[in-house]
Amino acid sequence: MLTGKPDYGGQMINTVLVANRGEIACRILRACTEAGLRSVAVYANNDAGSMFTELASKAVPLIGETIAETYLNQEQILQIAAAHDVDAIHPGFGFLSERADFAQAVIDAGINWIGPSPRAIEKMGDKMTARLTMKAAGVPVIPGQEIASEDEETMISEIVEASQRVGYPLLLKASSGGGGKGMRKVEDPAELTDAIKGARREAITAFGDGRVYVERLLTGSKHVEIQVLADKHGRTIHLGERECSVQRRHQKVFEESPCPVMTDGLRSRMGEAAVMAAQAVDYVGAGTVEFLLASNGEFFFLEMNTRIQVEHPVTEMVTGVDLVREQLRIAAGEPMSCGELMIRGHSIEVRLYAEDASNNFLPAIGPLAVFRPPSGPGIRLDTGVREGDMVTPDYDPMLAKLIVWAPSRNEALQRMRRALDEFVVLGTITNIRFLRELCDQREVVSGRTDTMLIERVWPDGWQPDYSDSTFDAALIVAAVSESAGLNKSRLMTTESTNDLISPFQTLSRRYP
Amino acid sequence: MHHEFKYDGEKYEITIAKDGQTWLLGDYTAILCDDNRIIVTGPEGVSKFAHSAKVRDMWWIHYDGHIFCLEKTEPGSQDNDAEQGMTAPMPGKILEVKVKTGQTVDAGELLMVMEAMKMEHRIVAPKTGTISRVGFSVGDQVQQGDTLVEMAD
Repeated sequence: MLTGKPDYGGQMINTVLVANRGEIACRILRACTEAGLRSVAVYANNDAGSMFTELASKAVPLIGETIAETYLNQEQILQIAAAHDVDAIHPGFGFLSERADFAQAVIDAGINWIGPSPRAIEKMGDKMTARLTMKAAGVPVIPGQEIASEDEETMISEIVEASQRVGYPLLLKASSGGGGKGMRKVEDPAELTDAIKGARREAITAFGDGRVYVERLLTGSKHVEIQVLADKHGRTIHLGERECSVQRRHQKVFEESPCPVMTDGLRSRMGEAAVMAAQAVDYVGAGTVEFLLASNGEFFFLEMNTRIQVEHPVTEMVTGVDLVREQLRIAAGEPMSCGELMIRGHSIEVRLYAEDASNNFLPAIGPLAVFRPPSGPGIRLDTGVREGDMVTPDYDPMLAKLIVWAPSRNEALQRMRRALDEFVVLGTITNIRFLRELCDQREVVSGRTDTMLIERVWPDGWQPDYSDSTFDAALIVAAVSESAGLNKSRLMTTESTNDLISPFQTLSRRYP
Repeated sequence: MHHEFKYDGEKYEITIAKDGQTWLLGDYTAILCDDNRIIVTGPEGVSKFAHSAKVRDMWWIHYDGHIFCLEKTEPGSQDNDAEQGMTAPMPGKILEVKVKTGQTVDAGELLMVMEAMKMEHRIVAPKTGTISRVGFSVGDQVQQGDTLVEMAD
């Protein structure tokens, strides 16, 4: 070649459209600003005034009411991209991030897709296909059975038959699944048929695809995932692991890196398997290969997430790699900037949800009348909300991710306790107190966490644990607040300091 | 000043006094800061900052890492907890209705399945009794707080 510069298929990036909202949109838009790139945010009507719209060079409204008409509306997003000279699209996580057809449409429109190829998304996105791909690549998978039928009756009879080989307890999973949706744990064969129907129905509603397959439920195992990064210059590396065993309703709430039981040998074996998985689909960009780690050190492929993940910050904290910045770099055709893997200290992330941990983790809504995050050394908050915002039932109830870093695991846990005690959110029920008590659980302290921890520690549900004197103090605070007329002064400041609609005047609901 | 609050079904009546800038109650003292935080000093002499916010009738209190929701009630008001309706915990859609009016159910029995935020939620009977009214059918949209099923003892 005469120019001396080979073409790696990358294109210069000037303007990035972020096809997402909330916390992850903020994370990506900030990375764009830091990289000196112009950014475009798109937002639905009910997100007008949201924090992420303020972090973009330009915010463009999406027309429509439902999620399908707005954040999932490929055509509209591509039209906006064309109208605003967008040359790259970052999908974040959720929404269109794992839609191969969207990735293809973006590429066809001559726009840089910040993510892996549509073919890689397709192969990994369908969980049954991913299982088969991994088996072929020599990566161990969980004992189970792929089920081809989509028809309810045939599916039931095939799963019932497979269940005899797979054994109980077992797990039904939607092939298009994610986030615990379309997933059912079955311990009693008598419950199998109902569970299949429920999983199938939930899968159809959530993903428009009712295919369900079956896997053995490996109890007592850890959820350990490997972060991978691949550029267009043929380099594929792993950035160590994250442990995300502590889950409720199959959704992660407490994530850390490194995994407390990890050894150098196991890390290289899992890392190699993850790199192999990525290479099997010619992966490009940031991705995560999830494994179940049994107590005997055996590990099994669970799935590969072909996008940036919610819990990516803990990897960033211990490796010093800015994953979103690397995504931008890789998409532009540059080589990734990270050197040899070096893990330093310990990082923990907790997910702050608007939900009632004392009532089966039911999502909650309401105003964020007070929202005061903790600060200080080693603390990072990734959020898309601020004081005065409303938590609505329109989107995922995750409010923020609180991330701490410290030289050792014990110190990180101490720092997390301190941070959670400082975190004040009033007006909407959150899981802050639940997370705080979780930090004191024996298994969390010792690092012997597994995926069944929450159900085992709180089989009848969690209830806050407080002393009479704490409650007495709260009563006095309420009495002083009422006597001093704090409700009135707060109402006034809310009205005068910003033009958000005052939640106190528009709410016609009772809380909690 | 005299106030009445309700928490977890219990009524609490308290009277606090004010001495200069300091509020007094039993072994506790409290001082209101300029930024609306409240410094509470307990019987042990330890002081901590508390935050409060009122949303409609509910006082949200943050104290020592704990959150409490105390409902401000008027002294002498009637309790209306006697109504045993099962309400929608959040806006959503009814997927299944398992019971009919007049049917007797046991505590914990499944009455309805609703979908909200793409997750299924099971509405179960809080006690043993007879269904006196079923408010919605399959496919109906419900708002938070809507009474889904009513029961008589």
